[in-house]
Amino acid sequence: MSERQEEQKRHLQLMKRGADGNEEYSGTFQVRKKESSYFQDNCGKRNSCEQSEYKPQPLYFQEEDDSVEMRDVQDELQVRHTPCNVTHKRKVKWHYQSQIHITVWKNKKALENKVGETMQDRTLRNWFKVTIPWGRKYDKEWLMNSIQNHCSVPFTPVDFHYVRNRARFFIQDSSIASELKDVSYKICDEENQKICIFVNKCAAPFSVQNKLEPEEMYQLEMTMNKRYDVTQQALDLQTLRFDPDLVGHEIDIILNRRNCMSAALKIIEKNFPNLLSLNLCNNKLYQLDGLCDIIPKAPMIKILNLSNNELSSTWEVSKIKGLKLEELWLEGNPLCDTFSDQLTYVSVIRSYFPKLRCLDGQNFTSPTALDISSPDLVKPCQKTCKEPEELRNLIRQFLRQYYSLYDNGDRQGLLAAYHEESCFSLSVSSNPEDIALNSLCDIYKESRNMKMIKDDYLRLQLLKHTKHDVVRSLCVLPKTQHDLNSFVVDLLIQTDTMLCFSVHGVFKEVEGSSQGSLRAFVRTFITTPGCCSNLCIMNDELFVRVATAREAQCSLSLQTPTSVFNFKPTLSQEQQEMVQSFSTQSGMNFHWSQKCLQDNEWNYIKACEVFIMLKTEGRIPMEAFQ
Amino acid sequence: MEGTGSYHRDWSEENRGRQYQQHDQHRQPEGSGSHYYGPQGDHSRQGNRIPEEVVTPPLAASASSGSLMAAAVDFKTHVDQACRAAEEFVNIYYETMDKRRQALTRLYLDKATLIWNGNVVTGLDALANFFDMLPSSEFQVNMLDCQPVHEQATQAQTTILVVTSGTVKFDGNKQHYFNQNFLLTAQCTPSNTVWKIASDCFRFQDWASSN
Repeated sequence: MSERQEEQKRHLQLMKRGADGNEEYSGTFQVRKKESSYFQDNCGKRNSCEQSEYKPQPLYFQEEDDSVEMRDVQDELQVRHTPCNVTHKRKVKWHYQSQIHITVWKNKKALENKVGETMQDRTLRNWFKVTIPWGRKYDKEWLMNSIQNHCSVPFTPVDFHYVRNRARFFIQDSSIASELKDVSYKICDEENQKICIFVNKCAAPFSVQNKLEPEEMYQLEMTMNKRYDVTQQALDLQTLRFDPDLVGHEIDIILNRRNCMSAALKIIEKNFPNLLSLNLCNNKLYQLDGLCDIIPKAPMIKILNLSNNELSSTWEVSKIKGLKLEELWLEGNPLCDTFSDQLTYVSVIRSYFPKLRCLDGQNFTSPTALDISSPDLVKPCQKTCKEPEELRNLIRQFLRQYYSLYDNGDRQGLLAAYHEESCFSLSVSSNPEDIALNSLCDIYKESRNMKMIKDDYLRLQLLKHTKHDVVRSLCVLPKTQHDLNSFVVDLLIQTDTMLCFSVHGVFKEVEGSSQGSLRAFVRTFITTPGCCSNLCIMNDELFVRVATAREAQCSLSLQTPTSVFNFKPTLSQEQQEMVQSFSTQSGMNFHWSQKCLQDNEWNYIKACEVFIMLKTEGRIPMEAFQ
Repeated sequence: MEGTGSYHRDWSEENRGRQYQQHDQHRQPEGSGSHYYGPQGDHSRQGNRIPEEVVTPPLAASASSGSLMAAAVDFKTHVDQACRAAEEFVNIYYETMDKRRQALTRLYLDKATLIWNGNVVTGLDALANFFDMLPSSEFQVNMLDCQPVHEQATQAQTTILVVTSGTVKFDGNKQHYFNQNFLLTAQCTPSNTVWKIASDCFRFQDWASSN
């Protein structure tokens, strides 16, 4: 056999690895019937394509000696021992009985570079592949950041991809390689298992090995520029392989191949860094490892069309979750059929892309409100609540009065706040691993957790009934100081006879064995309007837990209330008249007029003077006049 | 005809919603758990069938008002009823939320309000939309407390306050501790009482920190 034939045979054996050539890091050979029909379609297409000068290859190719070996196609070792100087390629189409389809592409300048070591050869040397077994289960960003943190020198991983359960990437520097070797077993994952990293010498990664020639790059760039819509900042790369310009120049841009994808991304990075919309429809993509590299290059992409590809699982889609997509098309991919119902499909995809508004053409209603990972949802939305200011003031006033009585003195004043037949119960957070909670349970002995207490009698005992019982049990609880600034109130129900709201906040215990401990609480009050715009408590449920470190940080220094409000239910007739006229004269509402008069011991003249003084100093808040 | 003291549990498909119906009209008021149909908390449901409604036995006719004794009995009865309803409710609600999300809105009144981490959602349509969009969940309730709400506040519409706490993991998000409270109102018929949610307030314990 001639030398050329030898070469051909070697390359043939090499190239038999995968249906899309060894350009893919798929690791498994996939026998795909589809591919052959694809080929046939191709052929059909090409034949009917008028502009094409491309001559269809013969369907069957036979080597001269007619004995092409079928290697074990699962054997990856072939690739490992590839000689570095892969310079000879050829365009061949094969069609065996088992319908294996292999595509190989051609390098016209094949033989010329064999002489001497050129620049190209140097970039092909000194590559190391870094493998993380079980890398598949880690989030890519987290993994790379962790590895980078253990490395003194920043490095750029090349051709990051997954092979079965492994994560793999390439680097060129031997010093980095040895550092990475040392990182093995240093990083702990969430389950406290050490992550192992293998580093081996290897051939250059495919995107480097099979780097596009400059004229191919140029042609690709021209083609992509043509497909770019400046007005929309949209790039349409659908069915890129059969673009007439590329086909006319015999350039095979198969986006599944790492080198093609990386070339396309390089052009995007250079020419369209502010790309908003990308269409990759109909490119037979079955993995998105390559596309993943687009995230730093074109971070503004909001619209992505991946429809009619070969993505078989949402795990592929999760690789690009670094993109802040608002519109995504995935229909026509095998992954769509793996879902039994639409809703699960939608929710899985939305979990990768929190800002997603439209999936496969279907818009979602009010997405931002429902995104539980977005800070907007998690923050209290005082701005959007519809309760009138008056109601909020009422609740604020109630809470101020209540907690000034609760935090100061002997809490007996609270008797005025509770209805005769009111109820109170207390519950404590029950995380058995929390040691701090054990101390909580000691203090809050009367915790009524029906998950733990099954006895009817005990359940009845722990529910305090009638205001005297209620206040008695409140007095037993340790003295506290509540941080009113930390309070957030949710209004549950408002009717003529009932006002029900939940207060979330923090307080400090100022006495007892846990003095100084910060607690977080949720207290639900069910109240009815009492006399004179005061609220009368019918039901009171208090839930206490240990405050988190963050809550402790956020809580401002707990202020001591400056005055103790008396929970007087009624004003005398005279006082009511004073409030009325004061309000008319000052322009403040009844509540603030009453407050001013009260603070000045119902001395009308003095109250007027104080009011004028404060007003000129601008110390009266706007809400006083509403 | 069902005899006294026994209850008829019908597992057939068409009676799904009524499987906890109790036909016993002659229950003694001072009985402890044994006379009541008591929800057994976490018992496994036959055939994985989650009831679609929260149903408890009707209250025994209250003794004539006036005597202190009668008042005390009334309160205890209210508390017991509240506890039964609360336990039954919590089981059904969270299982429905986790496993049959689309049926969740059946547990709400038409005009019910949900406040979810401060976001207000009112009305069955909006609720249905909201629960559709919420990722699938895995709830674990560790704490449950309840109180009967005084009738002066509710204008004689039997209401109970249910307070829960525990952990939840939404698909694609980390696990959170949560607090939730409900106001359930009763729709009483002679044979049973159906409880529905009038108001639902849910918050992560770490709602203040962004993810």
